[in-house]
Amino acid sequence: MIEFLVRRAFISAVTLVLISLIVFTGVRMIPGDPARVMAGTDADAAGLEEIREKYGLHDPIPLQYLRWVGLALRGDLGESIRTRQSVAWTVAIKVPITVELACLALLIALSLAIPAGVIAAVRRNTAWDVLASAVSLCGVSIPNFWLGIMLILLVSVRLGWLPASGFVPLFEDPFANVTRMIMPALVLGTALAAVLMRQTRNAMIEVLSADYIRTARSKGLAGFAVVVRHALRNGLIPVVTVLGLQMGALMGGAVVTESIFVLPGFGRLIVEAVFTRDYPVVQGVVLITASSYVLINLLVDVSYTVLNPRIRVNGGVDGA
Amino acid sequence: MAPDAASPTFPLALAEAPAARSGVLHRAWRVGRRRPAALAGAVVVLLFVVMALGAPWIAITDPVRTDWSQIRKAPTWARPFGTDDLGRDGFSRVVWGARISMQAGVFSILLAIGIGVPVGLVAGYYRGALDQAIMRLTDAWLAFPFLILAIGLVTILGPSLTNATLAIGLGATPTYIRLTRGLVLSTNQEDYVLGARALGAGDLRVMARHILPNIVSAILVQATVAVPTAIIAEAVLSFLGLGVQPPAPSWGTMLNAAQQFLESAPWMAYWPGLAIFGLALSFNLAGDGLRDVLDPRDY
Repeated sequence: MIEFLVRRAFISAVTLVLISLIVFTGVRMIPGDPARVMAGTDADAAGLEEIREKYGLHDPIPLQYLRWVGLALRGDLGESIRTRQSVAWTVAIKVPITVELACLALLIALSLAIPAGVIAAVRRNTAWDVLASAVSLCGVSIPNFWLGIMLILLVSVRLGWLPASGFVPLFEDPFANVTRMIMPALVLGTALAAVLMRQTRNAMIEVLSADYIRTARSKGLAGFAVVVRHALRNGLIPVVTVLGLQMGALMGGAVVTESIFVLPGFGRLIVEAVFTRDYPVVQGVVLITASSYVLINLLVDVSYTVLNPRIRVNGGVDGA
Repeated sequence: MAPDAASPTFPLALAEAPAARSGVLHRAWRVGRRRPAALAGAVVVLLFVVMALGAPWIAITDPVRTDWSQIRKAPTWARPFGTDDLGRDGFSRVVWGARISMQAGVFSILLAIGIGVPVGLVAGYYRGALDQAIMRLTDAWLAFPFLILAIGLVTILGPSLTNATLAIGLGATPTYIRLTRGLVLSTNQEDYVLGARALGAGDLRVMARHILPNIVSAILVQATVAVPTAIIAEAVLSFLGLGVQPPAPSWGTMLNAAQQFLESAPWMAYWPGLAIFGLALSFNLAGDGLRDVLDPRDY
């Protein structure tokens, strides 16, 4: 197991280095003087010189890269062209909003997907199964920004039940916060729920045909106990992996959802940064999302290894 | 690389790919009858293709012509989808929007296949250090959330339909590298590949004549589920203002405009969204059916 974990961690480290190289190259591909790109169009000569000095823009490219990575590792991602605040800080204050949104979306997705997936698997090839599959197919096909707009139209404009947009910090007024978060979370959770439901269904079908389930049944255990206690626990393992891989889609979805519902999170930050050509912020957000994606999936794989005895003994299912 | 690439056909039957082509149409018909939803999906996709190609004949009204006397008019028989905030005909814009969506969806995935399949083929066929390098790079590339990567690329390239297509295509490429490599790894050990190699076929010939034909159906199935994702991605980028630029009629830009008039002109939001939803859903349904047609073993 240790060997597997070390190898897995090593691969993640290589991936992180490559990510930093891709982002570094990407920023260099922006046409124009790199110092001007980092400092903004209205920077004066002194400001430009300061940037050149900081990032060693007179040095050879590999050295520039190392210096940039070194600064990034210490949390220095430069400063926003627009606000002149540090990128790390700009991102840090936005993260909790997106994390809350993502957690709510995850909660909604799981509480819809797992029961639906289990029912579809247990009642395989019945109307329930067909219904669950149809709903899931609609869930992956519906553009989430349109779903958001339609929800605003129905719930806020027509019925007037919930506010369409705006944000209230969680600790200021939890109730007002949740009333503004529930619709975006539902929109963000829909596609995820659809994917997870399919995964749960397939995994459960496989698990339910396993020998130990037959044994449990023949021992006279009630159907419900078998499904929940014996099958679900094993059936959820692949679902957790897919969940890790879906984190990227969740972060991408947050961009759109936050734009529609005007939530001042991470996702809106990147869109605003793109429009104002605030390259350091775009760079920082892209770097942080990709890195956290790698780290989340490393964590998922590690926890999976610890939880699943088969992998623990055999030294890993080779999927890499 | 392959000295025998031009040599005549092999004397042995095992050298030919085992897929029976004549049965595909027949099987398609059988699957279609058994799964009406897949058939309906395929028909709707075809309708959208016809709509995209025939836009100039279907939507006679100019989709970008503004009319200040017709601003935000509710749907009528003459203008079934109503008009938008600049008095443009909603129906006409939805029809022309099909062109942009199809273009972005299909070309971006073609680009992803064009890069991903050869790279995956080489990685899976030669293995070794090259394979490792390609796979690590693919891992890194996949770590960027699809949409965030597309936004990053559009930032560098500048917003336009071409650049959005390029960004979506590059974002989808690693999936094809991985898929192709995995398929090659399993195909590589098949008897007919080993046989062809034993007969002295060069690398290029083995890859092009023996491996590729046998993995093409799996790639095709992946493409049918990737196209709707690409179509939605284009709509999202255009919605955010990073894709197609106004006044071009893209479903995403139309929804962006509609968002400001939800109270006074909700019809502006109905049709473009329904069009994206309908097209994506049909593609997914048709893709499910295609999987059955091309890969009966899996079913």
